[in-house]
Amino acid sequence: MLAMLLRRLGLGAITVWIVSVIIFVGVEILPGDACTAFLEREAKGKLLENCREDLGLNRSAITRYAEWAGNALRGDLGVSANGQKQISELVGFRLRNTLLLASGAMLVGIPLALFLGIVAALWRDRPMDIMVSTTAIAAMTIPEFVSATLLILVFSVWLGWVPGIVLTSANAPLAEFFPEVLLPIGVLTLVMTAHILRTVRSSVIETMASDYAQMALLKGLPYWQIVFRHILPNALLPTINVVALTIAWLLGGVVVIETVFNYPGLGRMMIDSISDRDLPVTQAIALIIATVYVGVNLLADLLTMIANPRLRTVHMRRS
Amino acid sequence: MKILLGVVSGLALSASLAWAEPSGVFRQAHEVGSGSASSLDPISKGRVFQVTEKIMSRLVRPDMDGRPSPDLAVSWSANADATEWTLMLREGVTFHDGSTFGSEDVVYSLKRVLDPEMDSPARSAIAMINKVEAIDGKTVKLTLDNSFADLPLLLMDYRLRMIPEGSGDTIATTGIGTGPFKLVSFDAEGTTKLAANMDYFEGAPGVAEMEIIGITDGQARLQALLGGQIDMERGITAQQSVMLKGSNRFHIQTIPTGNWRGLVFRTDVAPFDDPRVRKALRLAADRQGMIDLVMGGGAVVACDSPVGPRDQYRADISCPQDVDQAKALLAEAGFADGIDIDVHVATLEPTWPVIAEVYQEQAAAAGIRVNIVQVPSDGYWNQVWMQKDAVATRWNERPADQALNEIYLSTAKWNESYYKDPAFDALLSQARQELDFDARKALYVRAQKHLWETAGTLIPYHVTRLVGTTARVGNLDAVENNAVRWHLVTVD
Repeated sequence: MLAMLLRRLGLGAITVWIVSVIIFVGVEILPGDACTAFLEREAKGKLLENCREDLGLNRSAITRYAEWAGNALRGDLGVSANGQKQISELVGFRLRNTLLLASGAMLVGIPLALFLGIVAALWRDRPMDIMVSTTAIAAMTIPEFVSATLLILVFSVWLGWVPGIVLTSANAPLAEFFPEVLLPIGVLTLVMTAHILRTVRSSVIETMASDYAQMALLKGLPYWQIVFRHILPNALLPTINVVALTIAWLLGGVVVIETVFNYPGLGRMMIDSISDRDLPVTQAIALIIATVYVGVNLLADLLTMIANPRLRTVHMRRS
Repeated sequence: MKILLGVVSGLALSASLAWAEPSGVFRQAHEVGSGSASSLDPISKGRVFQVTEKIMSRLVRPDMDGRPSPDLAVSWSANADATEWTLMLREGVTFHDGSTFGSEDVVYSLKRVLDPEMDSPARSAIAMINKVEAIDGKTVKLTLDNSFADLPLLLMDYRLRMIPEGSGDTIATTGIGTGPFKLVSFDAEGTTKLAANMDYFEGAPGVAEMEIIGITDGQARLQALLGGQIDMERGITAQQSVMLKGSNRFHIQTIPTGNWRGLVFRTDVAPFDDPRVRKALRLAADRQGMIDLVMGGGAVVACDSPVGPRDQYRADISCPQDVDQAKALLAEAGFADGIDIDVHVATLEPTWPVIAEVYQEQAAAAGIRVNIVQVPSDGYWNQVWMQKDAVATRWNERPADQALNEIYLSTAKWNESYYKDPAFDALLSQARQELDFDARKALYVRAQKHLWETAGTLIPYHVTRLVGTTARVGNLDAVENNAVRWHLVTVD
C-alpha cells in the first residue's frame, strides 16, 4: 500500500511537470508576448526593446523555462511578468476565493445530489424519478453561461433579491463576498448536482439488481434494511471518483462562471494572465490546478480502497 | 421689488448650492484594459483614465462644444507667430497632499512627458514643445519648435494631467492631483475608491464617494448596470440599449464622438498605389447602409476624414455610394474585369468582421471581390496592422490637427496607409502656422478634401457613443469622458 502510494505520488509529480512544459510551450507559440500584449499598437522600436529588456524576454525560451522551474522547485513562484507583485500573494487570495465558491457548491451540491439520486433510483420510473432525471439532464445540457444569465435575470434584475455581479475585491475579507457569491454557487450547484445525481442513480439501480440484493430480498429482509445496509454502501463507492473529479473541476477555477459573474477566482486570473502573456502567473496557476487534480484523484482512489475490502486486499497482496 | 426678489432668490440659490453637502456613492466600471500593469501615472501606457480623469486636472480642458476652456490655466496667449505661448495659472489651488500648485509643478509635469527616457505615449502629441519654463509662480512659458496656432487644443489631451513636482516615482500608486476627487484606495482589478475633494477649486463635488470597479467582461458590466450595481456604463451597443430603453429605471445619453473604425489599404503597394483604385474602393461603400447594418444606426457618416462630427474643423463632404464611377475608375486603372483583394480582420474589435462582410457585399456591385481573412486578435497590432496590404483599423477621437498629423503625415509613426503626399503635408504645416481661425479652418478643410480624393483609408463613419445610467444619476454632462465635469454629477 505504501509502495503504491509512493508510486502514485511519483507519477503525479511527473504529470505536474509535463503540464508545466505544455503550458509553457503553449503560451510561447501564441503570437505576441507580454510586451506586445501590453503595448498594443505602440509595440514598436525602442519602446518594445526596452520592455523586453526589462522583463528579460529577449533571452531564449529554454533559459527562461529552466530558471522558472528551478525557482518553482524551491517554492518560489517568482513575480508577475510586470515585476510588480509577488505571485504567491496574488494567487493566494484568488485560490481562497475559488475555495469559497467550490466549498459552497460542494456543501449544497453533494448531499443534494446523493439524496436526489437515491430517491430517483428507489422510485425508478415513477413521476418523482422522471421529474428529477429530466431536470438533471436539462441542468447538465444547458451551458453554464446561459443558466448563469437566466439566474441573474430572475434573481437580480427582476426580483432584486441578490446582486448579479460580484464587485468585491479579490483580497477583501471572505464575509464581504456575501450575498454576491450566492448566485455563482447556485449555478455551480445546478451543474454539479446533475452530474453526480445521475451517477448515483444508475449505480443504485445496478446494485439493486445484483444477486446479493435480490437474495436479501428473497430472504425476506425488511426493504429499508436492505437499502441502508446492503445497497447504499456498495452503490456509493463508484460515486467517490465522480465526486472527486467534480471537486477537482471546482477547485481548478471555473473559468466560465467566474467570467460571467466577474468573480475574482483562479479561473478568471488564468484567463487574464494568458491575455497579458504573463507567463509566470499562468504557470503558477497551471501548477496549482494540476496539483489539485492529481491530489484529489489520488485521495479518491485511496478512499475507495479503504472503503472496499476487496480492493484493499488485492493491493495488499500485490505489494 | 422685482430686482430685490431676484437678489434674494439668487442669494438663497447660491446659499443652497454652497451648503449642499456631497452625498451618495457613484459607481462605474472600467474594463481593466491594462490588466496587472494598470497605473495611476497619467502618462503611462497602463493609466486607468477612468480614475485619473477624476483625481487630476489638466491645464486646459474642452468645454461642452469641445473648445479649449480654462482648467488649471486660466488664460493663455501667443506671440505673433505662435511659437511662444504664455499660460497664466490658477491661484490658490492645492494638491490632495496639501501642497500648493504652482508653475514648478507644470514645468515638472510637462518635462516628464517630453523626456525621451520616459517614452510616454503622450509625448508625440506635444512633441513640438521645445522648452518649458516658469516665468514666476503663476506664469509658464512654452517655446515651440515651429508655429502652432492650436496649442491649447493639444493641451486638452486626456493624459496631460498635472502632478506635484518630483512625484514621478510614486504617482503610479498615490494618484495625487488637484481634481474634484481624492484617491482613497487603488485596486485596478477590484474596486478603486475615491472621496470628494472639499477643496476642489470649482467647489465641492456633488457626490461624496466614487467607486471605479474593474469588470473585464462587457456582458457582466451590462448585467451590473441592469441590476443597479453600477450607475453608469459608457459604450453600450445598439443591441444592448434596447434592454434599457423600455425601462424608467435607466437613462441613455447619445453622444456623437470622433471615434472611428475602418479599412486601410496600403498606398505604397500595388494595386493600391494607384489613387484611382483607392478612390474606387472608397466610392463602392454605402456608408449609411453600413451604419444601419453594423451599428444599428448609431453613427454619423464620415467621408474618409478622421475629423469627428463635432470638431470645429470638420469638412462638409458628401460621399454617396457611386458604383458606376467606381467601375469607371477601376477600368481606367486597368482593372476592367474588377479586382480581387484580401482584407484582414480580427475580433479584437467586434465590429471589424461585420464591417468587412458588409463591405464585401456592397463592393461586389463595383466588381471588387473582397476576400475576408480572419486573423487572431493576439499580436494583431504588430503582425497584421501596418504589415498586411489591407487591414481593419480603429482610432479614438483626436483634435483635427492631431488626427491628420498622426495618421497621414508622410513622417508620422502611425501612418498606417503609408500615405506620402507633399501637397497634403504642406497644407497641414500651413494650417498650424495660420493664426486667423477662418483661414486656418479653410486649410484643414482642404486637407480633408484632399484625403477624400486620394487617401487609402476607408472611414465609413464616426461612432455615436451610448451611455447608460441609472435613473438616480443627475447632472452628468452628455459629452465624452474627456469633457465631463465630474464634480457636477449627483446621485439621489
